[in-house]
Amino acid sequence: MYLPDFEYYAPATLSEACELLEKLGPGAKVIAGGTDILSKMKQELLFPKAIVSLKYLSGLSEIRLESNNDVIIGAKATHNSLIDSPVLQEKYPSLCNAAHQMANNQVRNIGTVGGNIVNAVPSADLPPLLIALGAKIKLVGTNGERVLPLEDFFTGPNESIIKQDEILTEFIISEQSLTGSTYIKFALRRSGALAVASVAVAVAMEGNTCRKARIVLGAVAPIPLRAKKAEEMLTGKEITDELLEEAGSVASAESKPISDIRGSAEYRRDLVRVLTRRALRKAINEGHV
Amino acid sequence: MGENYEVIGKSVPRIDGVAKATGRAKYTGDLKFPNMLVGKILHSPHAHARILNIDTSEAEKLPGVKAVITHRDVPSTKYGLSPARWDETIFCIDKVRFVGDKVAAVAAVDEETAYKALKLIKVDYEVLPAVFDPYEALKEGAPQIFEEYPGNINTEIHQHFGDVDKAFAEAYHVRRDFFSGQRTYHSPLEPHVSIAFWEGPKVTVYSSNQSVHYLQYHLARVFGMPMGNVRVLKTHVGGGFGGKLDPTGLDFAAVKLSQITGRPVKMLYDRKEMFYNNRGRHAQYMELTTGVTKEGKILGVHANFVMDGGAYTGLGVASAYYAGALLTVLYDFDNYKFDMIRAVTNLPGCGAQRGHGQPQPRFAFESHLDHIAEDLGIDPLEIRIINARKPKTVTINDFKVDSYALKEALEKAREISGWREKKGKLPPGRGIGVGNGGFVSGAGYPCYRTDLPQAVAIIKVHDDGSMATLYTGAVEIGQGSDTVLLQMAAEAMGYPLEKMRIVAGDTDLATHDFGAYASRQTLMSGWAVKKAGEEVKNKILQTAAEMMLVVPEQLDVKQGVVFLKAHPEESLTFEEVARTYFVKYGQLIGQGSYKPPKLGGTFKGAAVGTSPAYSAATQVAEVEIDEETGEIKVIEAWDVHDCGMVINPALLHGQVHGAFYMGMGESIWEEVLFDEKGDVANGNLAEYRMPTALDMPPVTSELVDSIDPNAPWGVKEVGEGATTPTMACLANAIYDAMGVRIESLPLTYEKVWRALKEKREKEKA
Repeated sequence: MYLPDFEYYAPATLSEACELLEKLGPGAKVIAGGTDILSKMKQELLFPKAIVSLKYLSGLSEIRLESNNDVIIGAKATHNSLIDSPVLQEKYPSLCNAAHQMANNQVRNIGTVGGNIVNAVPSADLPPLLIALGAKIKLVGTNGERVLPLEDFFTGPNESIIKQDEILTEFIISEQSLTGSTYIKFALRRSGALAVASVAVAVAMEGNTCRKARIVLGAVAPIPLRAKKAEEMLTGKEITDELLEEAGSVASAESKPISDIRGSAEYRRDLVRVLTRRALRKAINEGHV
Repeated sequence: MGENYEVIGKSVPRIDGVAKATGRAKYTGDLKFPNMLVGKILHSPHAHARILNIDTSEAEKLPGVKAVITHRDVPSTKYGLSPARWDETIFCIDKVRFVGDKVAAVAAVDEETAYKALKLIKVDYEVLPAVFDPYEALKEGAPQIFEEYPGNINTEIHQHFGDVDKAFAEAYHVRRDFFSGQRTYHSPLEPHVSIAFWEGPKVTVYSSNQSVHYLQYHLARVFGMPMGNVRVLKTHVGGGFGGKLDPTGLDFAAVKLSQITGRPVKMLYDRKEMFYNNRGRHAQYMELTTGVTKEGKILGVHANFVMDGGAYTGLGVASAYYAGALLTVLYDFDNYKFDMIRAVTNLPGCGAQRGHGQPQPRFAFESHLDHIAEDLGIDPLEIRIINARKPKTVTINDFKVDSYALKEALEKAREISGWREKKGKLPPGRGIGVGNGGFVSGAGYPCYRTDLPQAVAIIKVHDDGSMATLYTGAVEIGQGSDTVLLQMAAEAMGYPLEKMRIVAGDTDLATHDFGAYASRQTLMSGWAVKKAGEEVKNKILQTAAEMMLVVPEQLDVKQGVVFLKAHPEESLTFEEVARTYFVKYGQLIGQGSYKPPKLGGTFKGAAVGTSPAYSAATQVAEVEIDEETGEIKVIEAWDVHDCGMVINPALLHGQVHGAFYMGMGESIWEEVLFDEKGDVANGNLAEYRMPTALDMPPVTSELVDSIDPNAPWGVKEVGEGATTPTMACLANAIYDAMGVRIESLPLTYEKVWRALKEKREKEKA
């Protein structure tokens, strides 16, 4: 395996990077941590004409709490920096735990949150929980920036609404009334394995009544999938084990898995049922875990 | 173990430990030679195709390319394990037989140029229908892969001992079960690497391999050279597990490319190419029928197997014989029938992998035996004790088994695992299982027909006696053989280990040995080393006797001190005696050679499975199953081994841990998968899932006392035997936990989930 030939650019500023991407056109790809793109190139699955590195762009790795209690996560933040972030450990430890379930330590050390999103891999670990937490993303292009819900970003496997000149710069998780959130990944060994199915949930509880629930399924559809029917049936309800079981079944029916070398569609669908119930119970009982 | 030894039986640190832990150890891939070129092999993109034309002209024109070779440039001599199945050539001549088959090779100034040159080689193929399943391959009208194997039958075995039909007729209970095992791959950490360079008529080959002798033999035979003109050596080797015993395309291509270019050529397989080279575990399909008495005594067994060999035979014919041969060793029964068909398919060729053909049949038999125990209402561990072979017995297929402590291993495993407290009493979702295994301590006969001894060793004491060097052809591949053989040499000589050095695995500078396979080195190389050490000792005692004016019988030597047995204070140092010997007689050298006596019977295939000594092992494991997802957590494992005298306990327990790790991976996670074109679908370490450290449970490794009379100091094997009980041990634990039997390996979470679902549906209905 070796890397095919390509041009390499490492611009100093964000605007320069966007202009370069526009100028170079669709053959140009962005590299941040490189854990996904380099391996695809070596496997001859991707042949970019040019690679634009974000390595010299400053200020995109920060994780901070704004005065309005919004959490900002820079797109270049590595998975390990998510795990180690005091802000996240305080506000959303569930996100630290989700990041910890990614790949292995070497990949977590260099892979970035932005990369995990922009690659738009259906089994990616961070999108389900970020969507459940209502995260928004900021895309910066040659004509300025736009902010939109992460949920609206994905359009299919390896496909999204990002434009050729755009770079994902940050995530914004606004202060909400959520009382709990969690991410459960089901993989075929305890480390270094892609999700066969995963479920992220975020809930707002009042006593034993569910005011709001967001359920996002990973690896069981072309994109991270909101299980909206399951969410609806929980809203405003007293939580019982039977209700959670039912929510699991409804989420399972909403999933659209395929069969591949990691598992059959039938298996994945049933995993969604079990994981949804477990994730809801965990977030309801234990908070942001 | 009674005897008072100075050097053996002690957990001395391995001699290469510091170099490896600090990164100073140089593996073959780290070596650089002046003017060295990089070679790469072009692999077939088709599973089955006729080669119409190969055009290398564009590749040759690429700047930096120094040579491009195809079958036209190399001998067409076929190679393999046994002459009847020499079916592989350096490069494909008329046909390619699997995705990854060897078509051509290039040598270039660097790796990038070599890869680019591969893309410029134009091969015209006529694609042929391919077959990927052994049962499909055996059907009438299936694509024929080799002219020499009509019906795609590569090996057919029919052995019958005693009278199985009569045994079944007389049995209280006869049970038949069907199991299957999957293709797995050794996945050594270090990829295969080969570096070749020529000096006049002589070629030197550094190869990351398990046997410098066999590689020398194959290279010399295929290239038509005297063996003396082929030097094969190795540096540190990062694991083999059977996958570095067959010669690779790298070895042959590097030799030829180096000859043409007149420069050293280095070649290596990347991870995916390693899966193409394969030689890993066969997929086996195993029907077992067993008749037992009411008390659980086995009367007769019929093993009816089919195995998927892939495209080329290599060592695979031995795998086929091993699959059935060793089933007779653990339990004593008088009637046995073994039928086997090894089919060829258009997938990478299979061969020897830790335990050779035996681990899957052990999985099948040990699972089958648990069913029989349940049918009869006998505890699974008890039925094994009832049938366990006794020492000093001969198997129905003529293997002489002298030491054998399987019964003791079972009893000890029962104690240390808490079997009695746990079996049937664990909380829901938890289960405990047992499996037995074992292996040969070296194959009784070499891989090719020859009267050469198994092992030769020389010990040279340096002129002033201050140091001694052991020369051996044994191959250290990480298992610790250099350390263990030095301990044995020092013990035999009565010399301190710290003063010993080793030169090993070099056909020029070291001695003859068949290398690291069939768990042979501690016993076989060990015999030669012990004899060499004893010869040195005798010369020392003789010389010391002359110096002290006594007879040698009055003297002994230990840890470098020669002393009068009756008055130990009257002594000389080994060094001064050795120096005196050197002055009077010349270099102080001891030489030892080992060849086992004629072993085994006279029936067809009788040689496979013979050995001077057999190990035995019991494993018990506890698992926890998630009843909703089928996820399997291995909670804890216990291994009790009868491996004879132990030379280095720390290394031995390390082998047991590694073997359990590997067996556990093959049990639950590992499987080589293929896409619809027959290409490896998971030829990387992300999707070919070996367990991680997080998946590994605590393992307790214990021993039972045992000394084998046919071995130096009574040693036996451990490295392969400890992999053989694991698969069934885990399958039986899953059955104990959930009441579902997974009959096909690997025991994936999804299979457990499905079996539980079907069980629930059946219970509802």
